[in-house]
Amino acid sequence: MMNGLLYAVLTQTLTFLPLALGISISYTLMRATDMTLEGSFVLGAAIFARLATLGFSPYIAAFCALAAGSLAGVMVSFIQRGGRVDPLLAGVLATFILTSANLILMGRPNISLLSQATLVSSAFAQSDTLGWLSVAFYSIFFCMLGCALVATRFGLRLRALGDNPALLQRLGAPLERYRLLGFAFTNTLAAAAGMLTAQTVGYADINMGFGMTLTGIGAIILGQQVLRRILHSARFRVSAEFIACVIGVAMYFMALNGLLRLNIDPIYLKMLLGILLVIFLRTALRRSALAGGISI
Amino acid sequence: MIAPLLQLQDVSLCLPNGGREILSHITYEVQRGDFVVILGSNGSGKSSLLKLLDRRYRATSGHLLLENKALGSFAARPFAQAVRTLTQDCHDSLFVSMSIFENYLLICEQFQARFHFIRRKHARLRLAAYLEPFNEKLANNLDQCVADLSGGEKQTLALALAVCYPPRILLLDEHTSALDPLTAERLLLLTRDVVAQHGMTCLMTTHDLVLAEGCGNRILALRNGRIYQTIEAVEKRALNQQQLLAACY
Repeated sequence: MMNGLLYAVLTQTLTFLPLALGISISYTLMRATDMTLEGSFVLGAAIFARLATLGFSPYIAAFCALAAGSLAGVMVSFIQRGGRVDPLLAGVLATFILTSANLILMGRPNISLLSQATLVSSAFAQSDTLGWLSVAFYSIFFCMLGCALVATRFGLRLRALGDNPALLQRLGAPLERYRLLGFAFTNTLAAAAGMLTAQTVGYADINMGFGMTLTGIGAIILGQQVLRRILHSARFRVSAEFIACVIGVAMYFMALNGLLRLNIDPIYLKMLLGILLVIFLRTALRRSALAGGISI
Repeated sequence: MIAPLLQLQDVSLCLPNGGREILSHITYEVQRGDFVVILGSNGSGKSSLLKLLDRRYRATSGHLLLENKALGSFAARPFAQAVRTLTQDCHDSLFVSMSIFENYLLICEQFQARFHFIRRKHARLRLAAYLEPFNEKLANNLDQCVADLSGGEKQTLALALAVCYPPRILLLDEHTSALDPLTAERLLLLTRDVVAQHGMTCLMTTHDLVLAEGCGNRILALRNGRIYQTIEAVEKRALNQQQLLAACY
C-alpha cells in the first residue's frame, strides 16, 4: 500500500512540477499572482489533445501547445500593461477568456487520448516504468529550462521586477518587456505541465486546471518554509527554489493521496486539503518565525 | 558663456484633478558643480521639487531644462544615467531582497554599453575594491542580502551605488534624516567627498541647519511652494546658523 502511495505521489509530482516552477517564478520572483497559469495548464492539454486527435505528430502538437501557453502569457501581460488593470484581476480575466477559448479549441469538454500517439505512448506501450521515465525526462527538461532562465541575467531582472519595479523603471529598464517575457515563459511551463498531465491521465478535460494556481502557491510556500528550516537560510538560490517546489508539491500530493486512500468522500476532499495546508503553513511559519524572527 | 546645467523656468506643480498648487512659478538655475541646499518647513515643496527633477512628477506649467534640453525629452536610460536620487527611504534606491552584489550587477547592466558582457568574477573584485572606502563590512560581504543590513549600511550602499556610474546631477532628499546623528554625519561626509571627487552637481533637501551651514555653496529656501530666499556662495560663507534660520524660515 505504501509503495502504491509513493508511486502515485512520484508520478503526480512529476507531471505537476513544470506548473509548480512556473507558479514559483511568477509568485516568488515576479511577485505576481498570475491566475492565468491554470488557464494555460488546460490550454496546453486542450491543444495537444485536439491536434493529436486530428492526426498531427505529437511533437508538432507539443510545440503548438507550448506556443499557445506563451501566447496566453503575452495576453495577460497586455491586459495589465502599464498597470492599468490590477495584476490579479488581469489573471482572472485572462482565465475567463481562456476557459471559452479552451472549449472552442476542444469542441467538447473532454477529449480522450487513450488510443492516440503521444510523446510518451510508445514508452508506456513497452512498460510503465519506461513510460514514467519518459515523463520524468520531459518534466525535468522543462524544469531545467526554467531553472536555467532564472539563473541568467534575465532571471535577475525578473527578480528585480518583483522586488522594486519603480527603481528598475527609474534605472531605464523596459519593465513591460520583462513582464511580457516572464509571463510568456511561466505560462509555457504551465502549458507543458498540462500537456504532460493529459498524456499521463489519458484525456484533456476543461476542468482539469481548476484551483491549480492557488494549490500550487500553497504547496510552494510550504516547500520554501520546510527548506528554510532545513538550510537555516533564506538566501535566494535557483536550486533551492526548485527543491522547494519538489518538496511542496510532493507534500501536497502525499496529503491528497493519503486522504483518498482513507476513502474520504470526494465532497470533503478540497476542504480537508485546504485545512491540512493551513495547518502545515501555520506550523512551518511559526517555526521559521521562532528561528528567524519573521512576524506572523 | 556656458549654459546652466539645470534650468527651471516659471515651473508650477498642482495636485491632480485641479488640486492645490504645490510649487508656484519657480525660476532657478543650477550651474555645473553647484551643491544647492534646499531649505523650507514641512509642506513647502522641497521634496516635490526634487520629484519634478527626477521626473516622478510632471510640471503643470513652465519648463525644466537639463543642458538646454527639456527634461521630458530624455529617453529613460540616458536620463537614469544623468540624474540619480537618494531619499530617506533606502528601499526606494535598493533591491532589498537581493544581495549587495546583485544590486551592483543590475546597475552595471543598465549603464554599461549594450551587449557588453560583465564577468561576474571581475565585477565582484571591482565592487569589493569600490566599496572599501565607503564601508569595509559591505565590501567584505558582497553576498549579504540588503534586507539584513542596518539602516546606515543600507543608506551607505545606496549612496555608493548611486554614484558608481557618476551621474551629472545627484538629488538627495533628506537622505540622512532617518539615521542616528553619528551615522548621519559619517554619511554626509562621504556624500560631500564623492560629490567633490566626481565634480557632481548636487541638490539636497534638509531641515538641518548645521548641515545647511556646512554643506554646499548655495541655498534655496522655499515657503508655501514659492522661492522665499536664495543665498549665493559669497553670502552663504558669511552666515551662521542663527542668521540662516532668520533668513530662510
